[in-house]
Amino acid sequence: MSNAILSLKDVSYSYPDGTSALNDCSLTIRRGMRTAVMGANGAGKTTMFLHLNGILRSSAGDIQWEGTSLDYSRDGMRELRSRVGLVFQNPDSQLFSASVREDVSFGPMNLGLPKNVVRKRVEEALLSVGMAESADKPVHNLSYGQKKRVCIAGVLAMEPEVLVLDEPMAGLDAAMQEELTVVLERLHAAGMTIIIATHDLDFAYGWADEAIVLQRGRLLAQGNAADVLLRPEVQTELGSSPLVAEITRSLALTGMAVRVNGYLPRSRSELLKAISEFHRQENEQ
Amino acid sequence: MLTEQSAYTNRWRQISPVAKGLVSLFGMVAAFAAGSPRAALLVAIILSLATVLGAGIPPARYLRVATPALFFLLASCLSLLVSLEFNHISTFGVSLHLSESELPRITQVCCRSLACLTALLFLALTTPLTDIISLMRRCKLPETLLDLMTLSYRTLFVLSEAVHETATAQSARLGYATFKLSMRSLGGLVANLAVQVWQRSQALHLSASARGNDGALRFLEPDYPGSHRAILSAVICGILLVVTAVYIP
Ligand SMILES: Nc1ncnc2c1ncn2[C@@H]1O[C@H](COP(=O)(O)OP(=O)(O)OP(=O)(O)O)[C@@H](O)[C@H]1O
Ligand SMILES: [Mg+2]
Repeated sequence: MSNAILSLKDVSYSYPDGTSALNDCSLTIRRGMRTAVMGANGAGKTTMFLHLNGILRSSAGDIQWEGTSLDYSRDGMRELRSRVGLVFQNPDSQLFSASVREDVSFGPMNLGLPKNVVRKRVEEALLSVGMAESADKPVHNLSYGQKKRVCIAGVLAMEPEVLVLDEPMAGLDAAMQEELTVVLERLHAAGMTIIIATHDLDFAYGWADEAIVLQRGRLLAQGNAADVLLRPEVQTELGSSPLVAEITRSLALTGMAVRVNGYLPRSRSELLKAISEFHRQENEQ
Repeated sequence: MLTEQSAYTNRWRQISPVAKGLVSLFGMVAAFAAGSPRAALLVAIILSLATVLGAGIPPARYLRVATPALFFLLASCLSLLVSLEFNHISTFGVSLHLSESELPRITQVCCRSLACLTALLFLALTTPLTDIISLMRRCKLPETLLDLMTLSYRTLFVLSEAVHETATAQSARLGYATFKLSMRSLGGLVANLAVQVWQRSQALHLSASARGNDGALRFLEPDYPGSHRAILSAVICGILLVVTAVYIP
């Protein structure tokens, strides 16, 4: 693929205790795309993410940035980590400064940027995740969802080309999830490549352009999210299929072929729109 | 975490930590410069009034934060007052002795310590630790020490949360129903905590490197508007305080 930004080629990795977490795993992330990474607990999503950022180094195989193998030297890592921003699952394990603003400044300070640039980036990042008014708060007084947003701001302030998020929606309430989706949408519109690990099939189906499904450290399926997530082997592995797709299918069986702008609906709101559109057309005829 | 709470909510929160640090420093200088116990007491009173009335710390909270330190102060002053004397006449060879001649000097030391205490409380109750750390960073204290402070401070909260969660989970399953069970649960808690500390430090290290860190922890220092004026007034107040302490008989 021409616009590949990161790719894994036959990557294997075992943890020091011998657990094999990745097994000849090959996959490609495409520039500017929204990619959802799915798979059962322990499938290797987190391990794969740690490879993208150079934190773990594969025992076999090759990882490439735009077609060239990663450079694991000090400078190479600095460069990679300024390009690939990784937000971990647990916010408590990645916030280590006491105040919000200070913590967000950590990444850009590590990049060695001048203070005024750092200051500007920190404010922008806090604004874009809607945490600007909590900038002077101590981290430990924030709610779980707010901590997550600070973590995201901490990575955004480094202005990476690729944003990698490990289960960002877990533990967030519906309103927070909606807000985060809006933030992600804005970043996507600005051209950022976004990769998300998630267990939420409905979210993945509605949000992602591309889907990657891992199974016990191997790639099970990769491609257009709308296709991949409906494949039978993926449905057996994940244990279900997207609700919107199922409803659309059963509606089709009753003779209601609902569409939005000629496509199958992928999210709840699209489905509702498609149904009302269908009724409107019925009434016109 | 009363100190913590006050530091973040007091009226002087937005004033430059440099100014507050200077007042505290001058307060300590005044405490040592005080020529008499009376002068030292006056310094203590001025500083505590500034904290309570100026920064708006509720007096009850001020006392609660000060109590443990006051207790230690009292204990050490009493122990200064009483000295052990080895003598050859008494049967035990040792006797307690009240040193009356030392009384003025001991009062002086106690009052000075009290003044120092109020100076420290002034800083601790009006300035969050993050600000104090960045102030120390500006004073060019060793990086390692400051990183250690930053991490311990954060870890304190993460750990207290972990302790709280584990203990709650244990008691929800009747872990503290009897004395025997309590002991067993407590052991489990400590063991679990040890693992958590290890894992969290690992995770912190990972996320620090993910954000491009390869050595010292660097953060942006907060910006305080109008800090020059605040610093100037702090210096003036501080000097006045020292002068008062020196010239009060
Ligand atoms: N530090 C570690 N040491 C040893 N084994 C580990 C370690 N971290 C993960 N593993 C193992 O590696 C495998 C892959 O784990 P990974 O965390 O990548 O899964 P995941 O897909 O992110 O799962 P989840 O959905 O639960 O987050 C699992 O079998 C796990 O037990
Ligand atoms: Mg995971």
